[in-house]
Amino acid sequence: MRFSVNRDVFSEAVSFAVKLLPQRTTLPILSGVLIETNDTGLTLSSFDYEVSAQTKIVAEIEESGSILVSGRLLADIASRLPNAPVQFATEDNRILVTCGSASFTLLSMPVEEYPSIPEISGQSGLVPADEFSAAVAQVAVAASRDDVTPVITGVQLEVAENHLGLVATDRYRVAVREIDWDSGEIGGGEPITALVPARTLQEVGKTFGHSGNISVAFTSKDDRELIAFSADNKTVTSLLIKGTFPPVRRLFPETTENYAVINTGELIEAVRRVSLVLEREAALRFTFTIDGLVMEAVGSEQAQASEKIDALLTGEDIVLSLKPAFLIDGLNAVRSEFVRFSFTKSENTNKPGPMLITAQSSKDQPGADSYKYLLQPNLLLR
Amino acid sequence: MSKQDGRERLVSAANADDSETPILHVDMDSFFASVSLLDRPEDAHRPVAIGHRSGRSVVSTANYAARRYGVNAAMPMARALQLCPSLLVIEPDFAAYRHYSGIVMNIFREMTPMVEVLGIDEAFLDVSGARRLLGSPSEIGQQIRRRVREQTGLACTVGIAATKFVAKIASGKGKPDGLLVIPKAETVAFLRPLPIRALWGVGAKTAESLERIALRTVADVADAPERLLVRAVGPATALKLQLLARGQDARRVEPAVAAEKSIGHEVTFEHSIADPRAIRRELLGLSDRVAARLRAADMSAKTVAIKVRFDDFTTLSRSRTLAEPTHVARRIFEEAADLVDALEIAGRPVRLIGVRGEQLQTGTDPRAALWDPDEDWREAESAIDTLRARFGAGAIMSAALLDRAAPAPSVPPHGIVRDHIEPYDH
Repeated sequence: MRFSVNRDVFSEAVSFAVKLLPQRTTLPILSGVLIETNDTGLTLSSFDYEVSAQTKIVAEIEESGSILVSGRLLADIASRLPNAPVQFATEDNRILVTCGSASFTLLSMPVEEYPSIPEISGQSGLVPADEFSAAVAQVAVAASRDDVTPVITGVQLEVAENHLGLVATDRYRVAVREIDWDSGEIGGGEPITALVPARTLQEVGKTFGHSGNISVAFTSKDDRELIAFSADNKTVTSLLIKGTFPPVRRLFPETTENYAVINTGELIEAVRRVSLVLEREAALRFTFTIDGLVMEAVGSEQAQASEKIDALLTGEDIVLSLKPAFLIDGLNAVRSEFVRFSFTKSENTNKPGPMLITAQSSKDQPGADSYKYLLQPNLLLR
Repeated sequence: MSKQDGRERLVSAANADDSETPILHVDMDSFFASVSLLDRPEDAHRPVAIGHRSGRSVVSTANYAARRYGVNAAMPMARALQLCPSLLVIEPDFAAYRHYSGIVMNIFREMTPMVEVLGIDEAFLDVSGARRLLGSPSEIGQQIRRRVREQTGLACTVGIAATKFVAKIASGKGKPDGLLVIPKAETVAFLRPLPIRALWGVGAKTAESLERIALRTVADVADAPERLLVRAVGPATALKLQLLARGQDARRVEPAVAAEKSIGHEVTFEHSIADPRAIRRELLGLSDRVAARLRAADMSAKTVAIKVRFDDFTTLSRSRTLAEPTHVARRIFEEAADLVDALEIAGRPVRLIGVRGEQLQTGTDPRAALWDPDEDWREAESAIDTLRARFGAGAIMSAALLDRAAPAPSVPPHGIVRDHIEPYDH
């Protein structure tokens, strides 16, 4: 194999291909990046049986062929090459990389042992990249990071004809976002759900954030189901997580008459300040009255803190205990100048009802209702 | 929990001799009800029961006002409401109970490290070593009562005696909000008029056997010819009862090992079993015991482990970590059964099965999450705990275990159960 390629194009392509590679793998061959050349150009791929990344770039192909090299090493090299065209040539099982005055010799891993990259054949729909990327960021914060319960380490995608729902939970909070999309060939009325690993989806969101439209396709192969995202000659596929996502949408209240409206930025600042004295995992106490919101950090003997900020309360006074980290995730994700906290009651009198966070464009004007963040308050200890 | 409504309460004489009575039994007075009333003092004088108003709920505790109407722990709520229509029913709040239990147990441990926790609301203390520092047992008992009241607003009763058995009876007699010393010299006289059921280890069955030979009081048992007793209840029980009836109880106060790393039970069969249904049944029984012990210790297990030993002594162990720690028998059983299924032992005869909860943590609150997958079972099992506390371990069990329950509920007919940590046998 022999080809020459633009340094920046190549470097960007390699960094994309290795981004989703696992940090550690039991099979060394899976740490490789596959480079294939043919008449149509150069393809770089990585695959670890769960997730694959593939991108196609323009290159001057002198001789077709394929090689498999260590992904991390190639990415490190590509990012430090001098500004000159990059030349690849194979000699027996060695790969010679030259760029300007620099040259590297790399060992090729056995291409024939590398698994074949999943092919996308299913129907696809289109979603605006910026909106999808924002939605993923808003929802994935709530996904569980604990592998003990794989089902909730994913983001549930709910595909309908012209809108796409994203849902994630770690059992302490639920984030839901709806976005418009063009379901294209998908569907025919049949709603589809797909459980995509949150980590992969976050990478997809970041990578494709500025790509115009992302094409989303569903494929099933040998009873494993795949989802594929493509834009700009790049494709990411991921196996779907098996299992049934908990029916979390029914946890959301239909109507709430007891709510408070607060300036989001002011609240984030105050929560961060008052939390400074909290011990890890401890909760802040929030008291909402007609006079505003008082936050108190108590429970530690060394230090206490409190702060009062404006809040417009409708309905009864209420006292809640909330974990600051969970609250701030929701406040950052709601992305509006003001925020509405809606309070609910639970059937169990000893358990506080969940609190709903939604956007509010001004003190008395609700914002877009496309994002909802539901948070379980802690038990109040006297 | 006691049936008494406080009208027969005994109080120590001011000069009661406590020189040879280092054992304290401290029992919180109607603990659940009192904690639940802390933040609603306006209802404190009303008859109150803790439980759920709905369905087949049972009373888990009643305050003294309610007891005067005849409302008692473990009584069906419907019956309680019949007896006392003005009864205020409050839903249990276990997080608060654990919180206050922690404070109270800490007060005990400030007095002596020799604290044996019996449950969420009672403990034995051996204050032999604290006399010089803190005073006589009665003085320590008064200090405990004062500190508990100051730090929590709750009342407790302290029984003081030479042995655990008598101390426990004393706290029962001293309720509510009291302190009763049974001087060593008066132990026997104190015990003699009590009904035989007051003796440790005398449940419905033993009582029946004793009553059949006209033994009704502790004095009857103490004075009965040994031969007669042996014939009625067997040699081991006979000896134990007679010693207790004469005020002798060799059991020491045993503080729990610092942090139990795991709680497990296993059973070895006399005849190996191969039937998968029988294996599941054993798993259910073991899971039930593990969960009950976890709950009694206010612990939850993050990992469930099983052990299976075959006839050729090959032993397989498997464990699984849960997303949320549990003390629910049903959950432990399901995980254990899954682990055993995964072994694919297909009819190989099994001589031993064990179930164990590992990675124990205290006070995990299942209600911290938006939903609790074990909610229904948790409620059912806490009702079961109440019944067992009152009527003994065999009072209620899974229907699947019924056929192996008789004649002695704690030992399956075809095996011996070995506890890894000696349980308190009351």
